[in-house]
Amino acid sequence: MDDFEQLLKNALGRKEQPPAFEAKVFAAVAGFKTRRRIFWRWASEIVAVMLLAGGFWMRYERETQDRAAGEAAKARLQLALKVTVTELSKIQKTVRTSTEEE
Amino acid sequence: MIALRIACITCFALAPLGAQELKLPASLDALAAKANEVVDVTMDANLLQFASRFLSDKDADDAQVKKLIGGLKGIYVKSFEFDKTGAYQESDVESVRAQLRAPAWSRIVGVRSRKAGENSEVYLKTENSKIGGLVVLVTGPKELTIVNIEGAIDPDQLKELGGHFGIPKIEPDPKRKNGEKKDE
Repeated sequence: MDDFEQLLKNALGRKEQPPAFEAKVFAAVAGFKTRRRIFWRWASEIVAVMLLAGGFWMRYERETQDRAAGEAAKARLQLALKVTVTELSKIQKTVRTSTEEE
Repeated sequence: MIALRIACITCFALAPLGAQELKLPASLDALAAKANEVVDVTMDANLLQFASRFLSDKDADDAQVKKLIGGLKGIYVKSFEFDKTGAYQESDVESVRAQLRAPAWSRIVGVRSRKAGENSEVYLKTENSKIGGLVVLVTGPKELTIVNIEGAIDPDQLKELGGHFGIPKIEPDPKRKNGEKKDE
């Protein structure tokens, strides 16, 4: 057996795991799980904040639209009453003038 | 909120088709193209109710208007001012006038100005001894105005609106003499 074969045998030979190997593996797995949990917690919190912000924005938009529609309806009502009162005032004025003339 | 939104959209969508008791001839709509100035307001009960939500109880003018429109079923205004005479047909007005007959309707004012060629009429609808509607019909060579207010209306409340809610207060001018003659 030459040196090369000896080296190969040593390299491929069964070796006992170091005493802390299992603990390291479990710690690595636990660390991965923790990082994944933190990631998902952050992701869900970001999504929740985005949904909340979206909800508030939609509500604000709806309220803005409703307010605009309400103000438009109020303006139309104002215009209708303005025409009505103006015409009635003109008629009243004409009637008064006619009565005074008579 | 969604229900309100749907109600608003429905109000606006159906506003032109509002259940107006007084049937205005379709030919009036065509007058808008000929008119110099047009006011066309169609507000049914739903739209009035919606508008009243935006009238503040704290503001005196708003509160006054809110009280006025509380019993109304609709306000419909069509007003046209023309550059030339003969823009509309007398038959258009007649078809409206024909609907304003006793016993439901009674003409409380009729003013005819021969000089200016203007005709102004005010009709009141009575329901169970109460006012259930008001129609103002003003026709002139270059003007046509039809105001139809449906529901319980107090003309005194309307008069009080002058000078409030952006409505100009029109004081009678004692110096004005234009030869108008009242026919009633």
